[in-house]
Amino acid sequence: MTIQKELHENTLFVAVEGRLDTTTAPDLEKSLRENMEDAEKLVLDFSELEYISSAGLRVLLMAQKTMAKKEGMKVTGVNELISEIFEVTGFTEILEIE
Amino acid sequence: MKEVTGEVLQDQIRVTMSGHIDSNNAPEVEQNVRELLEQAPGRPVLIDAEKLVYISSAGLRVILRIRKTNEEVRIINVSPEVYDIFDMTGFTQMMTIEKAYRVVSVEGAEEIGRGANGTIYRIDQDNVVKVYNNADALEEIQHEREVARQALILGIPTAISYDVVRVGDSYGSVFELLNAKSFSKILAGEPEKMDWCVKEYVDLLKKIHGTLVPPGQLPDLRETVISWGEFLKPYIPEAAWNKLMAMLREIPHDDHMIHGDYHTKNVELVGDEVLLIDMDTLAVGHPIYELASMYNAFIGYSEYDHSNILGFQGFDFDTAMEFWRKSLAAYLNTDCEAKIREVENKARIIGYTRMIRRSIRRHGLEKEESRAEIELWKKNLLDLLDKTYSLVFSNNELDVEASTDNLDDVIDFVRGFLEKADCPLKIQMQVEVAVEEIFINIASYAYAPDKGNANIRVEILEDPKVAAIQFVDRGVPYDPLAKEDPDVTMSAEKRQIGGLGIFMAKKSMDDISYRYEDGKNILLMKKNL
Repeated sequence: MTIQKELHENTLFVAVEGRLDTTTAPDLEKSLRENMEDAEKLVLDFSELEYISSAGLRVLLMAQKTMAKKEGMKVTGVNELISEIFEVTGFTEILEIE
Repeated sequence: MKEVTGEVLQDQIRVTMSGHIDSNNAPEVEQNVRELLEQAPGRPVLIDAEKLVYISSAGLRVILRIRKTNEEVRIINVSPEVYDIFDMTGFTQMMTIEKAYRVVSVEGAEEIGRGANGTIYRIDQDNVVKVYNNADALEEIQHEREVARQALILGIPTAISYDVVRVGDSYGSVFELLNAKSFSKILAGEPEKMDWCVKEYVDLLKKIHGTLVPPGQLPDLRETVISWGEFLKPYIPEAAWNKLMAMLREIPHDDHMIHGDYHTKNVELVGDEVLLIDMDTLAVGHPIYELASMYNAFIGYSEYDHSNILGFQGFDFDTAMEFWRKSLAAYLNTDCEAKIREVENKARIIGYTRMIRRSIRRHGLEKEESRAEIELWKKNLLDLLDKTYSLVFSNNELDVEASTDNLDDVIDFVRGFLEKADCPLKIQMQVEVAVEEIFINIASYAYAPDKGNANIRVEILEDPKVAAIQFVDRGVPYDPLAKEDPDVTMSAEKRQIGGLGIFMAKKSMDDISYRYEDGKNILLMKKNL
């Protein structure tokens, strides 16, 4: 998994590429925690994300809870598999998915 | 010239007969023999007939009379001509009579193979001789000839010796082996043939391991390997030793053939045929025993001093490593690094056990050099024992420590099967989600706070095409499916994240079931491909 971050006028853009699983999720969590404080809004670009497991969802839930207190969080570019996982797990109701 | 000389030894009377023995000198011969026999009445008699040229019926009657007072009479070194006389008169049926052995020299001969019990030399273009290390090797030779014969009958391509000869003070057995070239020699001289050698070497290995041996025909290696483990008791910590012994005892009895010393000097290319030689270690047993001895031959004995392999096989350590790794991958029919490592580590545990025992028995712990080597093997053995829970393996099972660190290995192993089955990417991902969730669940809870293993078995069934994946652990009994599904309609603030993983596994697969059996949690899941 690789992470690219950019803070642009209070909005933190994070592009996640590869696999978000038990092994890599802690890296994303750490990376988000480092920058979320400085941001009012979070945009997660998942267009290059291939795979997500419950460990990844856990990080999304943490981020969602944190950002809900501010201007919120958005997930973009979700592929078919991940979109199905969001559906099944009710994350489509929790997250703002574009 | 006196026809009889002799000496009385501790356990036998040794009589040397020479020249012609017939009615002219038989009475004198008998008189001389009697004088010897009377010094130790009833003691076994060994008659050395190396220089005996002829014996008539008068001479034969002397031998018969010797046998009346001394029950055990053995005649050795008999020339072909005299042997014919013994044979025609039925003496060969009455007592042990051994022919004289042809004498063969190996001075300047090319060494083409070396095994546990002897060294093989080429004596001319068509023939090789195996010279045994043990000076009194006639029984070994007999054994090897017998097992080679059995192997040949069971379909294993091998050479059978046709003559027993004297080589210096040792015995040798002679084989016909036309223009043979060992795989070691090919690897050393023609490195571009590596992949070809791997294929032929593994094909023959699979043939050996696929050969079922009728009960009792070959020695069973299982108890021998357990005894290697027992030897280690004073040398490693008790907990490690207990684990080693439990694993060695858990290896099931197996009636399939193993060669026992399967390295590249014992595999010969003869014309376009691949032949197995050096059959004295032939046995039955679990293939992990074979892989252990292969590991030792290519890596283990050179692990401390990498230059060892050059003297033994004629190629360097890197070549040995490449050949061993490629052969193991081909044998297991996998590219999965984790799978190869799993089986290699199991082989190493038995391999180290054997080498440590062997080295201590041979050199003790006195010599600095061998002590350092033993220390290295011991350290590796203890490291491996710490993270290994079973020494058996199967091509479609991965046996790993249940630890989140091994998740990538598990995914990689399962993915290999799905890719081979041309599984669509999306389905593959769904299966991976389920595999991850179940494995992580086992890694987190089954043994905590202790450690243990998980066994992941993958089967691809046809018509309809289904991937069946089974997880087995020996942790606390726990049915992950019994837990109620999480409420996925709750808002983010109220969401409990626990239980989501198992729920995702259920949703990703078409069927999932759990049972507890023989102290094992068994979770089986299926996905239509």
